[in-house]
Amino acid sequence: MQLDWTTFILEIINFLVLLWILQRFLYKPVMASLDARQQRIKQETARAEQLRNEAEALRLQYETRLAEWAKEYEANRHQLEAELQQTRGKALDELRKSLLDEAAKKQVRDSAVIAAHETALIREAAAEAYRQAAQMLVRLASPALTEAIVEMFLADLAALSDSELATLRKAGQALIPESLVEVRAAHALDAAKQDSISQALATAAGRLLTPSFAEDAGLIAGIRVVVGECQLHANLLDELAFFRRRNRHE
Amino acid sequence: MNREAEGLVWHLGDWVISNTVITTWLIMLGFGLLALLLRLSGYQKPSSLHNALEAVLVAIETAVADVVPAAAVRRVLPFVATLWLFVLAANLVGLLPEMHAPTRDLSATAALAMLVFLSTHWFGIRAHGLGGHLKHYCQPSVILLPFHIISEITRTLALAIRLFGNMMSLEMAALLVLLIAGFLVPVPLLMLHVVEAVIQAYIFGMLALIYIAGALESNEPDSSNREENL
Repeated sequence: MQLDWTTFILEIINFLVLLWILQRFLYKPVMASLDARQQRIKQETARAEQLRNEAEALRLQYETRLAEWAKEYEANRHQLEAELQQTRGKALDELRKSLLDEAAKKQVRDSAVIAAHETALIREAAAEAYRQAAQMLVRLASPALTEAIVEMFLADLAALSDSELATLRKAGQALIPESLVEVRAAHALDAAKQDSISQALATAAGRLLTPSFAEDAGLIAGIRVVVGECQLHANLLDELAFFRRRNRHE
Repeated sequence: MNREAEGLVWHLGDWVISNTVITTWLIMLGFGLLALLLRLSGYQKPSSLHNALEAVLVAIETAVADVVPAAAVRRVLPFVATLWLFVLAANLVGLLPEMHAPTRDLSATAALAMLVFLSTHWFGIRAHGLGGHLKHYCQPSVILLPFHIISEITRTLALAIRLFGNMMSLEMAALLVLLIAGFLVPVPLLMLHVVEAVIQAYIFGMLALIYIAGALESNEPDSSNREENL
C-alpha cells in the first residue's frame, strides 16, 4: 500500500479521457436520442390530448345537436298532433252536422211518406166508405125516400137566404123562353108533387117557370133541378159525389 | 514489497506504467469500443444493447435528479455516470483471471477521490462563483472554517481509502480462501465479490454525487442566483 504518483496522475488523465470519450460518443448521442424520443412522446401526447379535446368538443356538439333535434322533433310532433286534433275535431263536427242534416232530411222525407201514405189510406178508406154507403143507400132507396127528399127540398127552397135567392133569380132571369127548367127525379113524381115543385121554383126565381120532369134512377133517391146555369141538388147521388169530392180535396 | 511485486510492467523514461494503468486502459478501450459499437449501430432503430445502455443512463439520471437541482442534472450527469461505470468496471475486472482490479490500488482510488474533490469545487464555483462557494465554508460561523477544511480533506481520504480497503481486502480474502480451500470453494466468495463490487461502486458514486450536490446547494439563500449561474 503505497501511493505511486505516476499511477495517480495517469489515472486522473485516464479518467478525464474516459469522461471525454463517454461524453462525446455515449452520453450525448444517447441523451439526445432520449430527449428526441421524449420530445416526440410529448408532441404525440399533446396531439393526442388535442385530438381528445377535439373529439370531446365534437361529442358535445353532437349531443347538443341531438338534443336540439329531439326538442325540435318533439315540438313538431306536438304541433302535428294539435293540428291533427283540430282537423279531426273539425271533420267530426262537419260529419256530425251532416249526419244531423241527413237525419232531419230523412225525418222530413219519412214524415212526407207517412203523410202521403196516411192520405192514401184515408182516401182508400173514404172511397171504400163512399162505395159501401152508396151500396147501402141504393138498397135503402125508395119512392117514399124520394118524396121525403122532395119535401125537404121544398122546405129548404122556401128557407133560402137572400143572396141565394138573388142568385137563383138571376139565373131565372137569364133564361130565354125556349130554355127548359129540368127536374130529374129518381122515382116518378105524382102531379101534386110536380105542381108543388113548379110553384116553389117560380116563387124562388121570381118568374113563371115550366119545368120538364124526367126520371133518372141513377140519382138513387131525390131530385136534381137545373135552372139555366144554376143546379139544385137534392138527391143521394150528388150528395155522395159531394162528399167524395170533398174527401179528395182534403 | 517492491514495485515489481505490486504489478509494475514497464518503464517510460522516469514514468513507471503499472498494471493498474494498463487495466484502466483496457477498461477505457472496452468503453470506447462499446460507444463505437453503439454509434455504428445507429440510433434510429435501437438495439437491445442500446436499450440496456439507455436504461442504465436513465437510472443514473434519475438518481442524480433525486439529489441535485434539476437545472444541474445534465451538467453533473457525465461525471457521476462515468465515475459509476468506471468504478463498477474496475471493481468487476478483478474477477477475470490474471487481472487485478484497479480499485485495489490506492493510487487509483486516490486519483478518483481527488477528481471527486476537484469536481465538487468545480461545480460549486460554477454554481455560486468563487466567493459564493468559499463563503459557505464560513457558515454559519467563521469558527467552523477549520472544521470544514478538515472535513473536506478527511472525506476525500475516506473516499479513497474506503474503496481501496474494501477491494483490497476482498481480493486478499479471495486469494487466501483460494490458497486454503482450492477448487470451487471460492465460488461463493466470488459471488460476494460481485455484490461487493456493485455496492462499492454505488457507494463511491453516491458519495461523490452527495458531495457535489452539497456544493451546489451549499448557499441556499442564493439559490435563485445559482440557477442563473448554472
